[in-house]
Amino acid sequence: MRVPIIGVGAVASVGRDADEIFAGLCAGRGALGPMRGFDSGLYNGKQLFEIDDRPEGTDRTLRATGFLLDAVAQAAADAGLGDDLSGVPVLVGTGLRELRSAELWWRDGAPFGVDRLHFGTALRERFGTADTLTVSNACSASLYTLALGADLLALGEADTVIVAGVDSITESMHGLADRVQPNPPTALRTLDVNRRGTILGDGAAAVVLRGEHVKWPGGRLWGRLRGVGMTCDAKHPTAPDPAQVAEAMRQAHRLAGTRPEDIDMVMLHGTGTPLNDLVEITAYGEVFQEAAGRPVLTGIKPMTGHTSGSAGLMSLVTTLQTMATGKVPPLVNLDEPIEEAAGLRLVRAREEKHEVALAQVHGFGFGGVNAVAIVEGS
Amino acid sequence: MMMTVTGVGVALPGADSAAALATASRPGDAVEPAAVLGKKGLRYKDRATQLGLCAAQRVLTDAGLLADGVLTVDGTRTAVLVSSNLGNVDTVCRVVRTIADEGTHGVSPMDTPNASSNIIASEIAIRWGLKGPNLMLCNGPASGLDAIRWGAALLRSGRADHVVVVGVEPDNEIARGLVGGPLVDGAAAVVLEHAQAAEARGATVRAVIGAHTRGLDVAGTIGELAEVESEPAAWYAPAAAAPALSQGLPVHDLAAVWGELSGALGVVQCAAAIGALDAGADGPMWLVAGTDSDDGVATLVLRPPVPAVQPAAV
Repeated sequence: MRVPIIGVGAVASVGRDADEIFAGLCAGRGALGPMRGFDSGLYNGKQLFEIDDRPEGTDRTLRATGFLLDAVAQAAADAGLGDDLSGVPVLVGTGLRELRSAELWWRDGAPFGVDRLHFGTALRERFGTADTLTVSNACSASLYTLALGADLLALGEADTVIVAGVDSITESMHGLADRVQPNPPTALRTLDVNRRGTILGDGAAAVVLRGEHVKWPGGRLWGRLRGVGMTCDAKHPTAPDPAQVAEAMRQAHRLAGTRPEDIDMVMLHGTGTPLNDLVEITAYGEVFQEAAGRPVLTGIKPMTGHTSGSAGLMSLVTTLQTMATGKVPPLVNLDEPIEEAAGLRLVRAREEKHEVALAQVHGFGFGGVNAVAIVEGS
Repeated sequence: MMMTVTGVGVALPGADSAAALATASRPGDAVEPAAVLGKKGLRYKDRATQLGLCAAQRVLTDAGLLADGVLTVDGTRTAVLVSSNLGNVDTVCRVVRTIADEGTHGVSPMDTPNASSNIIASEIAIRWGLKGPNLMLCNGPASGLDAIRWGAALLRSGRADHVVVVGVEPDNEIARGLVGGPLVDGAAAVVLEHAQAAEARGATVRAVIGAHTRGLDVAGTIGELAEVESEPAAWYAPAAAAPALSQGLPVHDLAAVWGELSGALGVVQCAAAIGALDAGADGPMWLVAGTDSDDGVATLVLRPPVPAVQPAAV
């Protein structure tokens, strides 16, 4: 499989479009700040990676929907599709849908209806598309929809597909994590011995995929999707299983027709929780074996926060920009890597120059839903 | 490549089979998950997850994928797709209210898994070791038929050999507030397989999956369907879609029987249509979920099973 990726878009706490985000990430500039939409008096953890789009101390409904529409519009414009997407399926991966709006409806009486809990209603209003899908697959959701989008093209059901991911932080998710973190993390420290957990972030990302055999009028080619593996642990609702995480990597390589030793860069899921990072790096070592020391490894969550359902595509968009520029954003906050990461080429502290032709992107989520994408540069 | 339905599971109030669903005129007693699944492991699982597990157990058994509680096929080649819009909305809303009233020390960490909408799909995978693609669709009124479409796509793409599709909606005060009335408080499920895979393991084909469409309105989407499918024998569609359907044929509006079906609708329609086919009804059945006032309309055709071709006499 070599599915052309012809447009990208993103919005996150670190920037309002894909270029601004990438510039921020390369500069090592994270966007962790005091929480704005929730009452900080209720929480131990008072910092989040929020998109700054409302006055401090207030919140409003449909922020996730707004982020999604922004990211999709950017990607469509980048691909030269314009604002009329009738006939273009839009597949959205999300962890939390518009559940933040449901919270505000139930708690504060904010106007909200079930027709906006999923994103099809807003996508149809804005872009005229009726073939939309909201997949609520926790933190690997947008890599799952990436797989579905590529499959749809391969089956000949569409010529062009937009795949997106989005989440805005819910108070219930932050609150439930906060409940068990009396000493909450003050920074997100992927693979660090002193990591103390993840911190949530707002974000949305989108890419435009074109069928391999569709005549293409030209425009920018960001790269090509080679394959996406997806597995389920079927073991525990919240704790990841290294065996199925490893299997998702192997499956991605089988589908892509590639080998671990071909990979130049791994974009880690790297949530900064004690368990995720350990499981992820253990599974990586098991799959890559003696090739484990070859690619560079990095991740974006220490600067974007854990953007949940959008995280996988946010990582993919960053990977495509690395391929285009040769710049690899660093894992900031990584002072002392865990023993299991010894001997690996971790990009730390500052941006590195590295030619990346083939990369592997990770997304793992609650429910043991694992997805791994392999992408090649143009 | 012919896609087929090889199992039906029903866990609706007063209906525990496709046959009961096909003939039901009103809901009966509430589904009691402990009576179906046993009490073990149900504590802390939300109502939608429990209902989804009931339908999943019945469909796996009905399809012959489960014998004496043990999976008879490769779990890594078995995918799970669940459709539900309101599934965990009650947990999320309840938690945010508790935080406002009592702070985070008032919330229970046992709610953490239920704060993630895909809890239903992942618990079904966990209970029976289903390690294939695991997808939670929360896609509005058409979500149930979308789940059938994407389940078939997983088969066509070679990502799975067996797909368990579940549609479920719980009934509670919070969900009622959002949709404006009582919900079904039940679930239905089907198993999808390639015709060859079904034949290879000796499974009974209950229906053949025909064409699907998704579009902006009822008239347009069924018009597209008419280009590739032969005339329906019956409709399964919301009442609001009825004016756009061909007249003189039976129209089964399942919400009139069960209350709001939301994301469960398309799967319950499949189960009911197969119940009717089992009882000898003529096909094909044309299924419609979503109306002109929704974000999209999905359709799907279910055809009666093709009679096995008898070898020519020698």
